[in-house]
Amino acid sequence: MRISDDFATLAYEAGWATEAVFFVQTEGDHPDLTVAVEVSPDGVNWIRRAGATLPASQSLVDVPVASFGNWLRVVITGATSEQPARVLVHVNLKG
Amino acid sequence: MQKFLSYDRGLERFNPLARVITYDDFDTGFNGWLDLTPNYVYDNYESFPSVVDLSSWAPNQLSSGAMRFASSHGSMEGTYSLKLTTAPTGRAHTEPPAPGSMGHAIKRLSSFGNPSLIQIEAWYSYTPVQDREGKGEEDIRAIGFFFDVQDPEYRYMPGVRYVNSLGGQLVKKWQFYQVGPDVTPEDWNFGVADGWCVPGIDNQWYGRRFADGSADGYQWVPGGEQDLLYNESPDKINWLYLRLTVDVEKREYVELQSMDKVFDLRGISPTLVPGYHSIDNLINPVFFVETDTNRSVNLYIDSVVYSTE
Repeated sequence: MRISDDFATLAYEAGWATEAVFFVQTEGDHPDLTVAVEVSPDGVNWIRRAGATLPASQSLVDVPVASFGNWLRVVITGATSEQPARVLVHVNLKG
Repeated sequence: MQKFLSYDRGLERFNPLARVITYDDFDTGFNGWLDLTPNYVYDNYESFPSVVDLSSWAPNQLSSGAMRFASSHGSMEGTYSLKLTTAPTGRAHTEPPAPGSMGHAIKRLSSFGNPSLIQIEAWYSYTPVQDREGKGEEDIRAIGFFFDVQDPEYRYMPGVRYVNSLGGQLVKKWQFYQVGPDVTPEDWNFGVADGWCVPGIDNQWYGRRFADGSADGYQWVPGGEQDLLYNESPDKINWLYLRLTVDVEKREYVELQSMDKVFDLRGISPTLVPGYHSIDNLINPVFFVETDTNRSVNLYIDSVVYSTE
């Protein structure tokens, strides 16, 4: 996914899982990025739960979460039209 | 060897052909149904150029049918169904599909047992996400299913699409996959002269679409009007039955059954194209869902039976 603005993944249902690890990977140059995992009671309204930074000098960061209920998403901020990023978001789930 | 087979009681709600190849109840996981992605085999892991963004279809999920106001539905039987969803990225139905505006689930199989008939059956439901007021039925453009088949001579895609709503107006009619006459590769690829896809392949996103809901890749099922159940609110889902049977010996449709209504499609062929390299004996069943507006919509599949004869 190429991003040039604040970006959020779609609401993802993972109520069957007890733990999740999000990996955000970049391909090519990118600015400093902030990665936040958010949880939700309904897939519509969101609360920030965990976060990490992915500096321009690195290309991979992980954000683990547990006890998240049913809904998850990742919000990535820091990309702009002047400094875009190409990101690959993985989620590993176990339950 | 004499065999005695004992069938799962869940098969009672299906009418499989003689040999059940897969029976997938998503209470036990994804059962090999996965997102549909393009071939990332070019430089920098790019895929072939296309007017349609094939890389951003929304992800499949195991869903408990959780609704904003109505608690969790679970599935038809059990807790989880396979949920296909879309991004909130609809655009006019005469345009190529917007990035993320569809969700697909594919199971990658091959031909086994030299069948003459193949059949998919599913119990499913659909609804938009409950993120705004209103009934929501008109925001679901379409749901569909197709087989991607290749035999030693031809690749072809027999499939069906339920056109639920276009431009906010309910349509509620069935189509089947077949390319209309005189459709050029450029037409098919939305103006790209050397487009990768040939007419008859990937009808769900290629081929021009017209104001009345007709399209290069779809024909209307004769008498295909059907008022499928949508239960008045985005947070109420009811389970529906679908069956599509295809004669792979004749390369013809046999029947589409939707609930108790059976549409006879005998004598009708999907569009045949020369086989692609190294995918001989391929049989991939694929479900999809499309949004008609800037709202995510969902297709829930409780269980699927793929059978042959």
